[in-house]
Amino acid sequence: MTEPGLQVLRPTSVAEALSLAGEGASQLVAGGTALQLGWAKGLPKPRRLIDIGRIACLKGIQPAGDGFRIGALTTLGAMERDRAIGENLPLLAAAVRATAGPAVRNLGTLGGNVAGLMGCLLPALLASDAKLEIASPAGHAVVPLAQWLADTPSADLIEAVIVRPQPTARWTHRKVGLRAAFTPSVAGVAGLVETAYDRITVARLAASGGGQAARLGRAEALLVGRRLQEIDWAELHAAILEEAPAIDDVWRSERYRRSVVANALVFGLGGKLSQGAPSPCRRTVPSGNPPAEILVSRSEIGARWHQRPDVAPKIAGRLEYLTDHREPAMLVGRIRRAGIPHARIVCIDTSAAEALPGVAAVVTHRDIAGSNAFGIVVQDQPALCFDKVRYVGDAVAAVAAVDMKTAERALALVSVEYEPLPIVSDPQQALAAGAELVHASGNLQCSFEFTRGDAAATFAKAAHIVEAVYETPSQMHGFMETEGGYAFVGTDGTLNVFAGGQHGRRDRMQLSRILGMPQEQIRVVTSPTGGAFGGKDELTVQPALALLALKTGRAVRLHLDRAESVIAGTKRNAMRIHMRTACDPEGRLLAQQVDVIADAGAYASLGPGVLETALEHACGPYVVPNVLSSGRLAYTNNGVCGAFRGFGANQMAFAVECQLDRLAEAAGIDIIEIRRRNLREPGTRGHLGQQVAPSERLAEMLQAAAADPIWAKPRGPSFDGCETIGVGMAMNYQGNGLGTLPPDPAGGALRLAADGMIEALYGLDEMGQGLLTSVKAAVAGALGCGRDDVRPVTGDTAATPESGSSTASRGTHVVWRVAAVAAPAFARDLLAAAGQLLCREAGTLALAPGGIVERHSNSGSLLMSFAELAEALPPDRLPAAAVSFEFPKSDYLEGNARLIFAFGATLARVAVSRITGQVRMLELHQHTAAGPMLDAAAYLGQIEGGGVQGLGFTLTEDAAMRDGRYLAGNLDFYMLPSIADTPESLATFALEDLDEDDPFGPRGVGELGIGAVTPAIVNAIADATGAWPERIPVDPEWVLDALQRSAA
Amino acid sequence: MSAEIAITFNLNGCRRALAVPAELRLIDLLRDHFGMTAAKMACGIGRCGACSVLMDDRAVNGCLVMSWQLDGATIITPEGFDDLPEADVLREALASENAFQCGYCAPGITVALTALMLENPAPDESQIRAALEGNICRCTGYHSIIRGALAAVEALARGIPT
Repeated sequence: MTEPGLQVLRPTSVAEALSLAGEGASQLVAGGTALQLGWAKGLPKPRRLIDIGRIACLKGIQPAGDGFRIGALTTLGAMERDRAIGENLPLLAAAVRATAGPAVRNLGTLGGNVAGLMGCLLPALLASDAKLEIASPAGHAVVPLAQWLADTPSADLIEAVIVRPQPTARWTHRKVGLRAAFTPSVAGVAGLVETAYDRITVARLAASGGGQAARLGRAEALLVGRRLQEIDWAELHAAILEEAPAIDDVWRSERYRRSVVANALVFGLGGKLSQGAPSPCRRTVPSGNPPAEILVSRSEIGARWHQRPDVAPKIAGRLEYLTDHREPAMLVGRIRRAGIPHARIVCIDTSAAEALPGVAAVVTHRDIAGSNAFGIVVQDQPALCFDKVRYVGDAVAAVAAVDMKTAERALALVSVEYEPLPIVSDPQQALAAGAELVHASGNLQCSFEFTRGDAAATFAKAAHIVEAVYETPSQMHGFMETEGGYAFVGTDGTLNVFAGGQHGRRDRMQLSRILGMPQEQIRVVTSPTGGAFGGKDELTVQPALALLALKTGRAVRLHLDRAESVIAGTKRNAMRIHMRTACDPEGRLLAQQVDVIADAGAYASLGPGVLETALEHACGPYVVPNVLSSGRLAYTNNGVCGAFRGFGANQMAFAVECQLDRLAEAAGIDIIEIRRRNLREPGTRGHLGQQVAPSERLAEMLQAAAADPIWAKPRGPSFDGCETIGVGMAMNYQGNGLGTLPPDPAGGALRLAADGMIEALYGLDEMGQGLLTSVKAAVAGALGCGRDDVRPVTGDTAATPESGSSTASRGTHVVWRVAAVAAPAFARDLLAAAGQLLCREAGTLALAPGGIVERHSNSGSLLMSFAELAEALPPDRLPAAAVSFEFPKSDYLEGNARLIFAFGATLARVAVSRITGQVRMLELHQHTAAGPMLDAAAYLGQIEGGGVQGLGFTLTEDAAMRDGRYLAGNLDFYMLPSIADTPESLATFALEDLDEDDPFGPRGVGELGIGAVTPAIVNAIADATGAWPERIPVDPEWVLDALQRSAA
Repeated sequence: MSAEIAITFNLNGCRRALAVPAELRLIDLLRDHFGMTAAKMACGIGRCGACSVLMDDRAVNGCLVMSWQLDGATIITPEGFDDLPEADVLREALASENAFQCGYCAPGITVALTALMLENPAPDESQIRAALEGNICRCTGYHSIIRGALAAVEALARGIPT
């Protein structure tokens, strides 16, 4: 079976193009940028593309009359770079810069943007009174754009756009999207007024509100003939509100779009926006002295800055990720997803797919020899579904074929008959009596409760009570390398699975259960991975890869495309946190009640751990004598959820830290002071009554926050009046490790390799966090050798010992402790061996960068290099030392509790737009106390990266679902922060000291960076608007309303 | 039979003449046909920049360019950057700054920045930010990349070592 290929025709004249287009089943194409997007969304492919790129008269930018003729084939990139357009048509140039991203602009054309009828250039072109040169079967014509849009004729070919400069005009342009740049348009406006003798002679206002752009004729009429200073801006605003075209969709409401259009035009043309000046946060000057932190930056830390070993190969593209691996005759695998959120499987027929030439194997649940269930905590997820599907991304079958095209074709031939079931799309409804069951065991996956004192009675005598429901979204990990890898059966019968992951040994154990194969017969390689953030903690593609490799006996690669990763991949559990907090007149916390409902999605994965961790952090770093906290995790048909950086603690910090600011306002107390009065005392028992580790630095972090210069920076209305600036802070308190209840094995080994490298073996994974550089730092530091002497070996069950998972901010401690504990014995063995060879007392020798030196010698000259030492020793006498231990645990066993914590204080300065309600981040200052930094660059990377991931979580990211389906199917609508969203400046500070008797060394900071970003931003928004948004990502419409209220 | 079209283009300095399906994407051509995997695949719809390459010295998304658009073009992938002195300086500056973590976006970002520096060897921070609006990095928060790019601008100002 073959499908007809796409034909491309290349006319050289407009007449030829029109005649070809008239033959049907064809589509005119120039840059083609919208095509792929359309096809990805399921638009049919035409049989023929008519490439108009060779038609000369559609090219070039030329002066024409008193304006410019811009050929339809001109790319937006060429327009952007064209000096004449920049100088003479600044409104159009501004619109071009706000359209798509630079690389897309190099392909997309002006004609395509106009012909698409929804292009982001249309408001600017309408306000510029652009005309189109049109060719149609009826002949050539020059038509005003506005008229052409009104007629929307389909058989036309746009030849050129003619735009006349208006050098004296006052103009404005604004595109408002879902994030700061490269975003779908929520609203776009362009306005232009020309005056003569002080009176407006021409006014052209155009806007789009998510649909087609249009001129605003009635609003224009209010301007023409008036003097600029006589404009009644309120009247104009009202007129635009009424006239602006706007749609209502899942992203933004019609009301919001109209407001933005009116605000943007009024402000852009010189009008004033209503002002309010709330200031709930009274703090305006830094106070006290900061603790002895250092600013973590390359210039500040000097010699402690090291280039990570993997960065240059990554930049050059020479580092092979597991999804990059290709071999001759390798099969390509693909997974058939449910595509519907909830259904009973009636039958699965693979015969047609198997019969397709080029298909090597199709696997279904019938191919699973072991237990068709996996999950880190609860094994409730089938590797391949058999009785029902519980979310759109559920895996039903997988195919391996000679190439991607054949695999895709085969996938479509797998016939699955479903009997749809009612969709459970809301966790609260999932728990109601009579709800459809996602699992036969019931929709309540688990619940937790914790009581201390008598919260209910205490509320009655409290001076101040704050109660709110905080809602946090499902967040997508958005690792740039989607899930994937390859698998093959080795000549010795070992199944090799190379797929990005966060704990190879556990992946192996889970695969062993599914496949019914002994673990010793399975090798799992998990490094390097292109980002994980918790999203590769659970199994992803490994079961399908393994089954296909076993069934075919051949190497198979499988790499999810983004759209599949979106529907199939794990997300952050959405939460609804109902919190009631009481304090006395002095702001001392008396009682807190917390009730959490978390969305598990279809399968538990690590959801129970996430919820329990959230509740463990229910009071943050504060002491609350009376507590009643509870949480329920509900199964729904909303994707799958589980581990994500922060693991519930950052969601809870949002609620707790906003409550503190609100109580401070209620009690009339400074926000730093209220925290000082409630902060836990070092050395006391933790929130659950557990023992906690020494080196607590909360007071120091609070002091760092108090002394931060951010408080002295400008606040309130911006210079131009279109923004209001606020500052907020929040404390950060994050546990390390898996906790008291789950097994948390750790370990590693050092050995001298035959080539003289000191190999450091860890079962941890390099996912980008800087494991390799941290290993080099820790081992070199412990041994006294150089970083370059150390070769980290990671993430391979065949080569590395059990180190536990690369999650829960635990890796740093494991890396440090293995090095610290293994080093003395290993160094002793190295020196003893060297001493024998050199005929010297081992005690007179020492390890140094490169090899063995004389102890106490200043010369630094090597007596023997590590390579010489290794070469001189028989292979079985090469020194080695292994360490294994349980990650340090606390003593509390009634629930899961952490022993080790890392500390921080986060400050955010934000600018809230009075035009759009959007929040722009000016500064993010992160103070951290996590012990000595193993590697400064890795530490900085974790804090900065976590910070901006937290910014996304707070302001733009939402993997929202309706009826069990994701609203955003790819990165066109799922808004990962872009470079335009990142704060203007970031600063990371580290307080490195530990208590004298501290046995735990450096703390992990993988989650510290994200921990308090949300409440810092939200408290800053409250500083600017007078109200706390309780739902994230913060809805700009809510912000506009809050600004309105504060102005009233 | 699936219709194929004949194309000739220059890839990293080598002339390539092929017969391929018209809608085959450049990124698939590179990764699956030529085994050149420096350009990465991450969204497939031109929204992340991981697959960027230079096409006639301009950065373009490898997932948006189809083979029918390649005829006559000059393509430089990250594998071909060894021959570009500007790219060399840039890559070294980015590496010294530890600009990337997982690194999956790094080749694409290097392409975007190289395209910028070929056009404007002394961009300021706002121009660097504008040039990277189409590239998503999930690990770093972007500032390490900005610092690396600014260091490259300084290094370029000092001159390209010969």
